[in-house]
Amino acid sequence: MARKSNDGIGRRRMLKGAAGIAGAAVGSGAITGFPVIWAQNNKNIVLRQCGTGVSAINEIAEKCKADLGITLQMTALDSDAVVQRVVTQPNSFDIGDIEYWMIKKVFGANTLQAMDVKKIKLFDKIVPIFTTGKLKADSVIAQGTAPSTVSFVEGAGSTKFAKGQTQWFTIVPTIYNADTLGIRPDLVGRKIDSWKDILDPKFKGKTSILNIPSIGIMDAAMICEAAGIVKYGDKGNMTKAEIDKTIDFLIKTKKDGQFRAFWKTFDESVNLMTSGEVVIQSMWSPAVSAVRGKGVPCTYQPLKEGYRAWGGGLALAKHLQGAQLDAAYDYINWYLSGWVGAFLNRQGYYSAVLETAKANMTADEWGFWMEGKPAQGDIKNPQGQIVEKAGAVRDGGSFYDRMGAVACWNAVMDEDRYMVQKWNQFIAA
Amino acid sequence: MQHGKRGPAFWLLGALFCLFVLFLYGPTLTILILSFQGPSGGLTFPMNGVSLHWFRNLFEKQMVGDFAGSLQRSLILGVAVMLVTVVASFSAGLAFRSRFRGSAVLFYLAIASLIVPSILISLGIGLLYRVLGWDPAWYSSAFGAHLTWTLPFGLLIMFAVFNRFDRRYEEAARDLGATSWQTIRHVVVPILLPSLIGVGLFGFTLSYDEFARSLYTAGTFNTLPLEIYGMTTNVTTPVLYALGTVTTGVSVLVIALSLLSVTWLRRRRTRHGSDAGKAA
Amino acid sequence: MNRVKSWVTYLQVAPLALVFLLFLIVPILTIVVVSFFDYNTTQIIPAFLLQNYEELLLSPVTWRTYKQTIQFALITWALTLLIGFTVAYFVAFHVRSSTMQTVLFLLCTIPFWTSNVIRMISWIPFLGRHGLANTTLMNLGLIDQPLEFLLYSDFSVVLAYVHLYTLFMVVPIFNSMMRIDRSLLEAARDAGATGWQTLVNVILPLCKPGIAIGSIFVVTIVMGDFVTVRMMSGGLSASVGLMMANAMSLLQYPAAAANAVVLLLLVLGIVAAMMRMVDIRKEL
Repeated sequence: MARKSNDGIGRRRMLKGAAGIAGAAVGSGAITGFPVIWAQNNKNIVLRQCGTGVSAINEIAEKCKADLGITLQMTALDSDAVVQRVVTQPNSFDIGDIEYWMIKKVFGANTLQAMDVKKIKLFDKIVPIFTTGKLKADSVIAQGTAPSTVSFVEGAGSTKFAKGQTQWFTIVPTIYNADTLGIRPDLVGRKIDSWKDILDPKFKGKTSILNIPSIGIMDAAMICEAAGIVKYGDKGNMTKAEIDKTIDFLIKTKKDGQFRAFWKTFDESVNLMTSGEVVIQSMWSPAVSAVRGKGVPCTYQPLKEGYRAWGGGLALAKHLQGAQLDAAYDYINWYLSGWVGAFLNRQGYYSAVLETAKANMTADEWGFWMEGKPAQGDIKNPQGQIVEKAGAVRDGGSFYDRMGAVACWNAVMDEDRYMVQKWNQFIAA
Repeated sequence: MQHGKRGPAFWLLGALFCLFVLFLYGPTLTILILSFQGPSGGLTFPMNGVSLHWFRNLFEKQMVGDFAGSLQRSLILGVAVMLVTVVASFSAGLAFRSRFRGSAVLFYLAIASLIVPSILISLGIGLLYRVLGWDPAWYSSAFGAHLTWTLPFGLLIMFAVFNRFDRRYEEAARDLGATSWQTIRHVVVPILLPSLIGVGLFGFTLSYDEFARSLYTAGTFNTLPLEIYGMTTNVTTPVLYALGTVTTGVSVLVIALSLLSVTWLRRRRTRHGSDAGKAA
Repeated sequence: MNRVKSWVTYLQVAPLALVFLLFLIVPILTIVVVSFFDYNTTQIIPAFLLQNYEELLLSPVTWRTYKQTIQFALITWALTLLIGFTVAYFVAFHVRSSTMQTVLFLLCTIPFWTSNVIRMISWIPFLGRHGLANTTLMNLGLIDQPLEFLLYSDFSVVLAYVHLYTLFMVVPIFNSMMRIDRSLLEAARDAGATGWQTLVNVILPLCKPGIAIGSIFVVTIVMGDFVTVRMMSGGLSASVGLMMANAMSLLQYPAAAANAVVLLLLVLGIVAAMMRMVDIRKEL
């Protein structure tokens, strides 16, 4: 009986979902003036994109070829190498996939060109975090390098960030997320609800944080603040005294043997967790999915202090012009048009234009990933593997619950020169 | 020591040698075992079943990265580096047999090239190309960066080789009226061939696995080590281990085949040699 | 005739010289120049400043990091020398046919054909808490708690170095050993020397050039390393290379360049000292 009614709901949802897709397909055409079939006038265009493996996904390149005719050559690098390449080898790429916190440094090198928002058809639909900075009208902008503060420059060709919105957009957001601690629920054996729980002596030698200086210090700041060790004016832009206190605390913790290792690439965090080297660590949402996919229990634990958020986006190389530049805009417009958004959402990231992504997902997928609802059926990742069974609820809840509870964005600080010196001191300790 | 029965020293040292080999193969064994992970298994223990899944997957499109393209680049680069290393160090080795003006400078440059940390060369070449407005690429800047690493090795090996080379062979050839080019082509090169192959193999291996020197010099496209590292910025799978196992398999095969052919060549040569003797 | 000959000689070394000029001298000069530049959060500013060097040399962190790097280099050097000498000795004096010697060497090189990045990852399942090494030891009943120091420690860093670089020691020492005139050894034995005495008084001194070259290889590679130390210590240990990499990751090239110049001078000094002891070129 109960089962039957469940089925009924399921079918109704399905129908609604299908109608939704159809509606949105028509709708998006109406809104954007885009034909559903993409114009194939980019057959001979090749665009070289460099970025981290997080978004340099081959399936996106294949789909891009099929839809637009553009050949997208993806090169996956680690985050340091992306930055180096964008700054020192400006002709080695056409499209750079860069993280927001680094934009502050990278854009100054004058190897990128700002985009004309008038050519971005769905610009108005981009999640406002990246434009006005406010997720909802009443939201407070979090600390750190909030994307909106580096999203606009003062004019075409300018490298000076504008205070408010202008016509010139630095990068188009692709993926973003709210990071928190990942835990092995089978091994921690207690309730985890604060960043400071990573300091529990019980987990001695079984914890980890990120080993990218600018991000690692953020993790540390979340921990220090939660434990009441340091009070920050702005975690995203610390004073020298705050950096000193944070690093001193980290050194002490390291000497006590609290950390097992620090991770730098996505894969390292997954390996640390699956191999049981670490039971609690700062993590990314898809890394948690990856651990679970290997049959190892792992929870992405929401914490009362909130999340440390980050985002990345596509930037255009300065040398792009003519047909290639047009193709790059086509690519960006296509990126925002839904297929990619849905693809990214299914991995546990968030995409820039929610509306179009929704149209490319089933109602159940949308409910699970974005609305924090229990999954009706099995949830699959883009490769078709089941990552969650029916009934599962996403850790941390809905999009608004998660992105609304961001305490701090990954940041480049004014004192970053000093910060790196102190970070080296920490590693050498 | 040289002849007679094997003493206890032989067995002790032999055991130590086996331990050393075992140690060298530690990671290789781990890779071998884990490359047979089940389809849902990870890069670490425990094993989630046993399968050939990842070997099949090796030939399929990966989520991130491109084995075929980067492998091709690394192989081409490795072979090019190998050829240049062999030719340049052989010819420099010939020259270095006599003192010439600047020979000391060049020698110390070679030593310097060996000791400058890789990351420095990489950064320096990257910055240089930036200053000159050239575009780095795996076949230009990375090629040069690799050569600064393989050439000093090649040169040092050639020194060792030429120090042991008996110059009377050359003199004999010249007395018989051979030009210096003919002497090199028909006398020196054949005698030194095994060493030259050694230099080549060395050069190839160093280039094929070079990471730091390619890091800032590879340009748009990655070499294999960079590509694999890039892939670890997303979820990687035991397909990496499958790649390792296949690589090991192929190298064992290549080495076994080349050993066999060398032995065969040597046998043939001795046979021919004795034939020649008879004819005379 | 003589002029022709010197012309040929220069032609013969030209490729080598050209590569060094383009890819060694000029890049290093670039680094030296950049090391005097100024920089801020977003830009590198051409200038002539000593500030990068001041910040570097006046910071106790630098000294501690250099100390740790030198420590790694020394320990690795001692271990690779010990192991490398033993292995070379076995292959040179106890393996009789040259084909067998070649086979044994090739056997040792096979693991190096698998990309180092993959091999580095595989140390985790080998040395980790639940890895092969610990499981084996526990199954044998030798330990009842996993040994944590096997991974993400100075131990694992040195282990990886020894694994990677012992062969660089073996080859030159082996080369020196093969040059030793076997009749010398017979003479020593006839004069009543024990095997040990022959080793210490005859073989060891004659292997000095090989040892020197091997030492140069190992010490210089370890001094400049940043990949191994980061991966094997899990980011817990520092090295000079890593310090540079951290600076570069935030685009602080002048700071990294200054550090590079200091490192280069140090390594040059070490090698010059070694070369004073042995004239490598003559004795190779």
